[in-house]
Amino acid sequence: MNSKDSGMSGGKGGDVVVETVSRLMVPFIQLFALYVIIHGAGGPGGGFQGGVIFASSFILYVIAFGIVKAGNRFSEAKNTVLFSTGVYIYAGVGLLCIICGLAFGAQFLNYGYIPLTHHFEENRALGMDLVEVGIGITVMAVITSIFFNLVWKREGEEVEGED
Amino acid sequence: MKSMSIAALLFVIFLGALFVYVAEDIPAFGDANSAPNRYVWLFDMDAEGVEDDLNQGNIPASLGDKLEGRGFPLPSGVAKLKEGEWDAVIIPEEKHYYPKEQKYYFIEKKEDKLDVYRYSLYIRFVEEGEHETEVQNMVTYILADYRGYDTLGETTVIFTAGVAVLLLLRRKEKRPE
Repeated sequence: MNSKDSGMSGGKGGDVVVETVSRLMVPFIQLFALYVIIHGAGGPGGGFQGGVIFASSFILYVIAFGIVKAGNRFSEAKNTVLFSTGVYIYAGVGLLCIICGLAFGAQFLNYGYIPLTHHFEENRALGMDLVEVGIGITVMAVITSIFFNLVWKREGEEVEGED
Repeated sequence: MKSMSIAALLFVIFLGALFVYVAEDIPAFGDANSAPNRYVWLFDMDAEGVEDDLNQGNIPASLGDKLEGRGFPLPSGVAKLKEGEWDAVIIPEEKHYYPKEQKYYFIEKKEDKLDVYRYSLYIRFVEEGEHETEVQNMVTYILADYRGYDTLGETTVIFTAGVAVLLLLRRKEKRPE
């Protein structure tokens, strides 16, 4: 097992430069991802892009510290909950539109009827932001989960080959 | 093996040529005034004696009959753009959230024929989107608002992909050392 401790499967004895740089980079990547999600209404960006950037920060963490440490930090159980949370937020905003707009025809995903502000148009803008957050959470969780699962599978196969 | 490679190369070249050939028919990207982006042709009719009505802002009876016969809503007014071109607008009833006149039909006179077009939805997205949603980014407001159902479906597709990968490649129990 020790001879395999380099690169992806490693946990100890990683490179100091890589570890330090990625420890510094991860929070900034995540901040940038949040910026891209929140700023989707005003500039380029949105839920899909921000979610992928957020997931890339976890991938950097795995490359630097190994899958075991990353798996302990961001467990599969939490990840699976986040999967459905994003879609739930999206569909929940749609349901909220139906509930708040009962008097106006109960339209699914017509964000204008959510009483966040007094202006129909600004309600639509805020509803869009909520939806983008939902998309971002789902994309982040799915990309992270796919990457983690692929890496774990690879390691298991190598060990089976040794036996 | 070599013949396989050559066949694959020929296939790729053929596909590329096909795409280039098809792409010839696509109108210039980003040209908001190109016909498919702007209007949808509905029908044509005789221009005999309707021009004066249109210039005065009225709907000629023959045009109204034709529109109603095809199940299209009747416009409530006509605005002249220039000689031989008119916009027919619809003012929604007051209960509608945007009681502002909407461009609905585009009427053009060609020789002695009158071509009637319907403005495409794209025009509404471009012209009205920003002040209907208070969002500056056209991509965002089309993706998340006008096409909200579509994006919900896309998110569900990604969710499904994640669940499928989870089921197929799920990591096993911790193996004994």
